Order: sequence, then structure tokens, then C-alpha cells
Amino acid sequence: MLEIRNLDVAYGHAKVLHDVSFRVETGQMAFFIGRNGAGKTTLLKTIMGLLPPQNGSITYQGKEIAGSSPEELFLQGVRYVGQEKKVFGNLTVRENIQIAAYASHEPMDQALEKVTAIYPKLKSFLKMKAGQLSGGQRQILLVGRALVGNPKLLLIDEPTQGLAAVVIEEIGKILSGLKDQVSAVIVEQNLAMVKYLADRVYILKEGKMAGEIVEKSEISDTQRMEKYL
Amino acid sequence: MEEAKPPKPTIDPKPGPSVEMMMAVKERAWIDLLVIASAFLLLVPIISIHRVIDFMIFCIFALSFDLIYGYMGRLSFGHLLFLGTGAYSCGLFIKYIDKNPLLAILVGILVSCLLGIFVGLVVVRATGACFALMNLAFNFIGFFLVLSPLRDITKGEDGFGIHAQSFWFLNPANKTNMFLFALLCLLLVFFLLRRLTSSPYGILIRSIKEDETRVRFLGYNTYFYKWLTFTVAGTVAGLAGTLSALNYKFVNPNVMDVHGNVGVVFACLIGGAGHLYGAIAGGVAYMMISNYLAIHILRWEMFLGLSLLMIVFRFRKGIWGSILTLWDYWRRPKEMQPAG
Repeated sequence: MLEIRNLDVAYGHAKVLHDVSFRVETGQMAFFIGRNGAGKTTLLKTIMGLLPPQNGSITYQGKEIAGSSPEELFLQGVRYVGQEKKVFGNLTVRENIQIAAYASHEPMDQALEKVTAIYPKLKSFLKMKAGQLSGGQRQILLVGRALVGNPKLLLIDEPTQGLAAVVIEEIGKILSGLKDQVSAVIVEQNLAMVKYLADRVYILKEGKMAGEIVEKSEISDTQRMEKYL
Repeated sequence: MEEAKPPKPTIDPKPGPSVEMMMAVKERAWIDLLVIASAFLLLVPIISIHRVIDFMIFCIFALSFDLIYGYMGRLSFGHLLFLGTGAYSCGLFIKYIDKNPLLAILVGILVSCLLGIFVGLVVVRATGACFALMNLAFNFIGFFLVLSPLRDITKGEDGFGIHAQSFWFLNPANKTNMFLFALLCLLLVFFLLRRLTSSPYGILIRSIKEDETRVRFLGYNTYFYKWLTFTVAGTVAGLAGTLSALNYKFVNPNVMDVHGNVGVVFACLIGGAGHLYGAIAGGVAYMMISNYLAIHILRWEMFLGLSLLMIVFRFRKGIWGSILTLWDYWRRPKEMQPAG
């Protein structure tokens, strides 16, 4: 599904990612963990076409996508959910879904059903401006909106950051419901979530790949991962 | 956290706000048009018909500006370029080619549209101050072009008179006829822009205003939509220019003087940017101030400055935005309050 080889990314002269390689198979959820500044967000932004790689290749469904624009990647089924939980605050919740539905040519009823299926409470907020939603509700809306138009690969940056425990649990359930349906690359610091959902865990340290955990038994051992946070 | 299949809810059959809004647009469009027409008709006995025509033309211009500023969030300091282009194209066509006013209007609209297409290709790449200043630069180029290099045909600073003949239902020499034609144009522009801004395209340009990068994440070529919006705004401004030329029967470089851009920015701010009714309310308010305050106070522009300060500190939503806020406050049911 997604294969990254020897990826180098830099902001000007400051190199942020050094020789990063990994792969995500169809239906798998790959988690990236690491300290702040390790380059996790940079990695997702590079895959999504927001940053140009210096070296290396990004192959998605057998095609090289390095240098593709975000709009081209969207049309190929790649969805990005940033860590800022930014919805279109002046549009209603319904319009936030509508704009994704039009982009992917999915009927609005179907798109609405898809989003409200993962979080039925959203139905009562459809007329409300999205800016009035709580942080957790915004995150759920963003994840739901990313599901419109049959995505194949989700790139989600810190989905539980700054959220209450009850909302984290809700998001965990939503992501769990997506397992085996879509592939995902998720940046996450919440190890309970990683343990619960991950098929593979990659550890980034100072822009370099510091480890890869594939075995489920090893993923359950959060102590090993903790030292990298 | 246990894996749980989320319940599959049925969709609320009631239409949401966008659908409701679009239905309302279709059903109540005639009410909107009736309200606007009545308001301007009522103004005629209070102020002169000539001034009301002027007000309506300025409102068309304000509506076009509101599309790029209020809806798309791009502040331009050079929108008068398109008004001036419409006025000059219409005037020059009547002066040198044909005295048919309807044909001259079409030529003015077409030239403004073409200019919007080409200028838009360059300026919509920029945002913020850069966008505003690039527009200002193009406006300056247009202003100096008609002032100096093209003065043999534009008559430079002196400008030139227009003597259009009457054609079919349009007779620019007859004030009542001109009033009805300008009103028809205003209603048509309002109706078209209302349809446009209530459509998915409207949602899209409002999203671009909020966060263009995120709109790109949703697969949209934002450059194309910004360019399209800029061109539509330029075309509508061109229509306002042609009407202005026919109404005054005279065109000179003042019609695209860069300093005039302040007026339309002020009109959109005071009326409430991002609302078509706001653009009309602001357009009328600005014209009232500039026409009547000037009679009593020599340096009336000072009050524009004071009003702008008031808008920025206390009245950011403008006239129409404040009315809508009050309306929402009264109507919002308690269950619509956001959950924690």
C-alpha cells in the first residue's frame, strides 16, 4: 500500500528526517511514536505532499507519489487529519461534511450517514457552526470527514492530543472500527492507544528510524516504547 | 477500550441548514428582490432619482467586492480597476464605434471579464498584503494608462462625454428609464450572487477564506476557484462601471482612481462583509455619508476614519452581521448549545 524508502526531508538547511524507510500493508495501522521534534509530523506532511523530500521515494499503490500535490493525493484516496483539530469553524457541521462529499463525488446522504455512524451525537450538531464544537467533537468530525469518499490511506497526526479520557476512548473505538477497512499511518503519543490499535509501531528519534516493532506481543510491551517518549 | 461495532443510525430526514438555505434561496428569492426593489423605490422621493441610481450602481460594485473580500477573504486595494475598465470600454465603444447602449454594456462587461481572467491568473497566487498590493499595482497601471499613454483616445485627464442613443427598453437620457434599468441590473446581480454563494461553490470559497491549505487536503484546486471568483467579481464590477458611464454620460480617470478603493472597503466593512445584504446596506450607508455629510462638513472623510475605528473595535460584524447575531440569539433553541 505505502512504501517509503530512504526519505530525507529538510527545512532549508536543517535536515529533519534522515534516511527513513518503512512500509504499511493494506488494512494495516502503523503507528509512529517519538519525542517532540523527532520528525513525526514532518513525515506525515511529506507523504501528504506539503513538504518536498530531498531524497528518497514514496510509493503508494505501486506508484511514486513524492512531489504530488495534496489535491492529487486526495483523489487517489489519501486523507490527512492534522494535529491542530482545525475544522472550518464558520461553516456548519453539515457544510463541513458537504465540502468533503462534493470533493469526492459522494452523495451527501451517504456522506452524512458515514460520518454520523461513527458518532451519532453529531446528528444533533449538524446545524451548528463547527467552531462551536468541543475539541473532541471537532476531532471526531475531522476523522469522520476523512472517511467520506472511500479513502484508502489515512494519515492522522496525534488524534488524542489534549483530549479528555472519555473522548480518547471514543476515538479509539472509531479507529478500531476502521481496522482492516483502510490503511493508516498514525502519529500518537498515547501508548494505550498504540497498544490497542497498532499492527506495526515505528520509533522515530531525532529524525532517524530508531526501531520497528511488528510482533503483537512486543507492541503490548509499552515499557519498551516508553523510553522513546 | 473494547472493540465495539458502532450503532448504525438512520439519517435525520430533515434537511440541514445548507439544504434549507438553498431551498429558501429558491423559494424566497422573489421576496428578497421585492424588499430590495421597494427599499430603493422608497428612496426616490426622499433623495433625487439621479442619486438613487448612483447608490444602486455603487451597491452592484460593493456586491462584486464582497465576493472576493467578504466571501473569499482576499482584501483588494485595486478593485476600481474593473469598474474603470467597464466604464472606459463602454464609453469608448459609444464614442468611436456604435451608440447602442446595450451593446456598449456588453462590451464593457466582456472587457472587464477578460481583464479579470488575465489579472486573476497573476494575483490570486498571492495572499494577504501581497494580494492587496498587487491589485493596487494593477489599478495604478490602469489609471496611468488611461491618463497618459492612451490619452489620444481617452482624452487623458479631461475625459470625454458619452452620447448614447436609446435602444429597445434602454434610454440612458431618461432618468426614470435609467433608474429602472439600474434596478433591474442590481436585482439580477443580487439574485445571481445569492444563488452562487448559497451553492457548494459558495461553501467552497468560504472555506478558502478560513483555511486554504485544508481545502487543498480535500482535493480542491483552490487556485482555479480563486481565479474564477476573482473573474466573476471583476465582471460584475465592470457592469457597475458601464452603468456609471451611462448614468454620468461622462468618463474620466477619476472612475479608476486608486483612492476610491477606500469607499468600497468601507462599504463592505460597515455593511457586514460576507453577506450580500450587508454589501447593499454598506453601499447605501457609504453613499449617504459621502453624499450628505459632505454638504455640511468640509472634511467629511475624517468621519470615515472614525467610523472605521468604531467598526474595528466595537462593530466588527457590521450592520447586517449584527442584525443576524441578534436574530440568532433570539431564535437559537437551548438544545443547540455546544456540549462540553
